[in-house]
Amino acid sequence: MEELAKLIFTISLSLIITSYLVIELRNLRYSAYAYILQALLMCSLFVIFARQNPGLYYWALTAFVTKVVIIPYLLLRYIRRTTNQEFPPLIGHLGSIILISIIVVIFYGVTHQYVEFIAPTPSATQEPFRTNLAVSLTIFIMGLYCILVRRDAIKAVHGLLILENGVHLSLVSLAPLLRETAIIGIVTDVVIAVYLLLYVIFGVYEKFGSTDTFQLKGLRW
Amino acid sequence: MNIEILYLFLLPALTGILIFLLGRKSRLLSEGIAVLGSAVTFLISCHILTQTTRGEILTLFREELRMDALSGLMAGLIAFLGLIAVIYSIPYIRKEVEEGVIRPERIRSYYGWIMMFLASMLWATTTNNIIMLWVIIEATTLASVILVAFYWNRDALEAGYKYAMLLTVGITFALFGCVLLYAGASPYIPSGLDPLKITEIAKVAGKIPKSIALLSVILLLVGFGTKAGIVPFHTWLPDAHAEAPTPISALLSGVMIKVGIYALIRTVLILYPFHSIISPLVLVLGIITMVVGVLMMFLQEDMKRFLAFCSVASIGYIIMGLGLGTYLGIYGGIFHLLNHSLMKALAFLSVGGVIYSTRQRRVPDLGGLGRLMPLTGLTFYVAALALGGVPFFNGFMSEFTLFLAGVKAGYLWATIIAIIVAILSLAAFIHIAYRVFMGSLPQNLDENQIKEVPVAMWGGMLILALLCVLIGVYPQIVYPILNEATKAVFSMMPAP
Repeated sequence: MEELAKLIFTISLSLIITSYLVIELRNLRYSAYAYILQALLMCSLFVIFARQNPGLYYWALTAFVTKVVIIPYLLLRYIRRTTNQEFPPLIGHLGSIILISIIVVIFYGVTHQYVEFIAPTPSATQEPFRTNLAVSLTIFIMGLYCILVRRDAIKAVHGLLILENGVHLSLVSLAPLLRETAIIGIVTDVVIAVYLLLYVIFGVYEKFGSTDTFQLKGLRW
Repeated sequence: MNIEILYLFLLPALTGILIFLLGRKSRLLSEGIAVLGSAVTFLISCHILTQTTRGEILTLFREELRMDALSGLMAGLIAFLGLIAVIYSIPYIRKEVEEGVIRPERIRSYYGWIMMFLASMLWATTTNNIIMLWVIIEATTLASVILVAFYWNRDALEAGYKYAMLLTVGITFALFGCVLLYAGASPYIPSGLDPLKITEIAKVAGKIPKSIALLSVILLLVGFGTKAGIVPFHTWLPDAHAEAPTPISALLSGVMIKVGIYALIRTVLILYPFHSIISPLVLVLGIITMVVGVLMMFLQEDMKRFLAFCSVASIGYIIMGLGLGTYLGIYGGIFHLLNHSLMKALAFLSVGGVIYSTRQRRVPDLGGLGRLMPLTGLTFYVAALALGGVPFFNGFMSEFTLFLAGVKAGYLWATIIAIIVAILSLAAFIHIAYRVFMGSLPQNLDENQIKEVPVAMWGGMLILALLCVLIGVYPQIVYPILNEATKAVFSMMPAP
């Protein structure tokens, strides 16, 4: 049992590291590969938790189809049609890594310490669910950070995907008995949202000549 | 078993699919199918509204789909404005195709997406499943992204990107909120009952731990509040409303943002009786929203952006009503929701008429149009007076109800601010209406080329204008619907 807890902890930590990679890699294709790795880790985490709650096998399968296959396919397709290189962000590598590290340390520490505030049942406050909740909220904040500080529209989509992963990961502890229809509904929305966003971003790229969101300032006030 | 609930959203969805499949053959086919589909959907919604106004609750699939009087009212509004917008679109879009603004092959896409958009909004009013509510609210955004960016020019793409990104990020917060609410309630829901059902969650809402309840309220306010255009999450709204084709702007402002409010009513209000801090929080958000909205109205030179910020202010009124938490407050909020749908759709369609005839929408480029477009001028004035809260127009009735509710609930400061906002909003409307429809024609416009809009456009505008006056003069006509809708909201709020 202790082995299993260690494994869950290692995968959870890897999810944070892959979030770092998705955010910090300037090559958008590599960033997408880091996302695939994160999605695979998430699927394996779902499978491990599914040993206690078989309903999570559906989650693992759905996550695999959407997060490992469909979304990366869309991402890589549009990256190929636009540009490989992220539009330079305002904050450089070092500054960004320091900033995210501070956010991660504070946020993980606080959520892990005070998980009782959001845990619906006493069992959700026990390990490994405690770590799972803290990690999912940390990933959520990392995704939000990426959306807020990066100039590149495709990178913002990467941020959105990390944000969504954070919420989906929390379902392991918060709503493990969620029905398949709800799960399929949630992931279908994400896939369509990503497709439409990339479709519009491609239009932006065609009209503006770049995916720099700072150019989208025609409509003000 | 009320199978009509299923028809309500499946019919427009199938109509949309049919348009995508067959619309390539002819423009007329796309238009015909869309009009027929939206007309039949409207009839179904009338049938449902009649039943729900009698106090009946329609259910399907073991209450997975459930419609009470509030759902019936929302469905009626969506289907009604949907029909008007589709008919209005025929000459509007045809002219844009003739002028080369839209490529002819995109007509199919326009009508296909508009039907999907209507279907998604109607579906949102029927679900009783908290996670599906989130899924469908997000679907309403997704179904309208292409419509917002429809012109595919720089401004439309900017608006489309912001719309899709901000709403998707915002709504993700709501997913967290919905999951927390479900997770917090499920341990207290007896086995055998479905913990995903909003009606079941409402029954045990008092048992949800305080920290979970309050956190989920904040997340839901951010998430569904973004959809509703509550300040400070409203930044997508003016861009999307302004850059979408005008019939779509009428739907976005008339009904889509109300779907966000509907979701807030279904999720946040069930916690009111157990946590006294929630309703003042909602009230303050409403006041901030209306103040920011009205101040921004004065800065606008673009008529559609002006109306968009007016929508922000009006959402503030509705949220204020909900925040009061009393019967009269919630009644007033729902009353303003109904009125705002009618008057703001009318305002947008009237501005659409101006754009149709002049290809201009900036106020400095317009003037003296009242003489050349009397019907459009008249309908815009009706909308302006109604939105400005002038007596004998529907906007006055709901705003006055809200003022009374505010005073009665002991929130005098909020009522005074709301009255000031109403006066400012009237001043802004008089200013705009005078500049556009009075005075002389500017040099950039050719008098001989400006004509009144065709009947397919003014017909819907006239019906909306008549309704604005009718409800203003005889508000009792909508009392049964509003009373039942308010009772439906309170029936989901169990006593502590």
